[in-house]
Amino acid sequence: MNLAVKWKITRIMLTSVYLFAGWMLFTGSLNPFSMVMGLFFSILTALLTYSLFIDEKEAERRGLVFNIHILVFYLLFLLFKMYASSFAVLYNVIRGNINPRVVHFRTRLKSDIARVILTNSITLTPGTITLSLDDDHLIVHWLEAKTTHSRYAGELIKGKMEKILKRIFV
Amino acid sequence: MNTQAAFSVIIYLFIGSGVISLYRVLSGPTAADRLIGLNIISAQILAVLVLFAAMENMHVYLDVALVYDIFGFVGILAIARYTGKKEALK
Amino acid sequence: MTEWIVFAFLILGAVFNLMGLLGVLIFPDPYTRLQASSTCSTTSVMSVFIAAMIDSGISAVTGKILVITLFFFISSPVSAHIIALYAWKNEIIPWRRKGGQE
Repeated sequence: MNLAVKWKITRIMLTSVYLFAGWMLFTGSLNPFSMVMGLFFSILTALLTYSLFIDEKEAERRGLVFNIHILVFYLLFLLFKMYASSFAVLYNVIRGNINPRVVHFRTRLKSDIARVILTNSITLTPGTITLSLDDDHLIVHWLEAKTTHSRYAGELIKGKMEKILKRIFV
Repeated sequence: MNTQAAFSVIIYLFIGSGVISLYRVLSGPTAADRLIGLNIISAQILAVLVLFAAMENMHVYLDVALVYDIFGFVGILAIARYTGKKEALK
Repeated sequence: MTEWIVFAFLILGAVFNLMGLLGVLIFPDPYTRLQASSTCSTTSVMSVFIAAMIDSGISAVTGKILVITLFFFISSPVSAHIIALYAWKNEIIPWRRKGGQE
């Protein structure tokens, strides 16, 4: 049994475990028939879609488990930042005094999922929206632009989020 | 004043603002404006469903809310994909 | 005591909703409208979800609302990004303030 087949079996099993956890969360019953049906269908779905859930290149990463406690801290930080920047947008809406600009900058994150999470966090905080993500080059629409210089704008927008994400995905 | 009454007031407010944001769907200059209107209405209806479930303490509305969220997302993806330029959103 | 926290989050949700709606109606171009709608549809809906979770205490309803919240955390920025990418690829030019500093 070579390495590729082993990795394929690992991917199928991980996907079916995730799907079965989702099934248990939604049905919420310990009825044996429903559990058997859930197991059957999660394995069937995993066989069909495992290559979409976990990419083949992910084997190069050091581990599939990342630092969960920093991830929870990151979610709370994101919630706080969302409220803080919401008040800024609210103030701008009331004054009607906006200065929108499109800024370009680069990110230093390496793995794909970390980049996607950074993009989603930038879009989730009101006041900035990611227009395009191409490799490590981000195009961001900024509602209240303070500068258009690439590096300073990147520092103001990414800020702490990139530093925390760097510690989650080592 | 209990929380039930506050919930029903907020439900009426969200429904009213959904009706007002229908203006952006009907009179948007570009197609992107109409999509923004649809997105905002979908979020407000999701909030109404969750508030109703918490008010009446019924689980059924939460399943409806989850499926509604998924379908709103897929609907916006489909509209954006089939009305834009061909090479957009590859 | 919990009642007052629920009221505070509901009022926060209502205020953010009304302001986002105002922004969607008065802002000049699709990108800025999208900014206002992202305020409305993430922060306001999230406040309402938190209020509903605090109100129903520890029960099955809270768990399901938590799942919906997590899914919404993923799906809402992705749909905003889809609309922004749609406008960007269809070459809609962003509005700029006249006489703004360079």
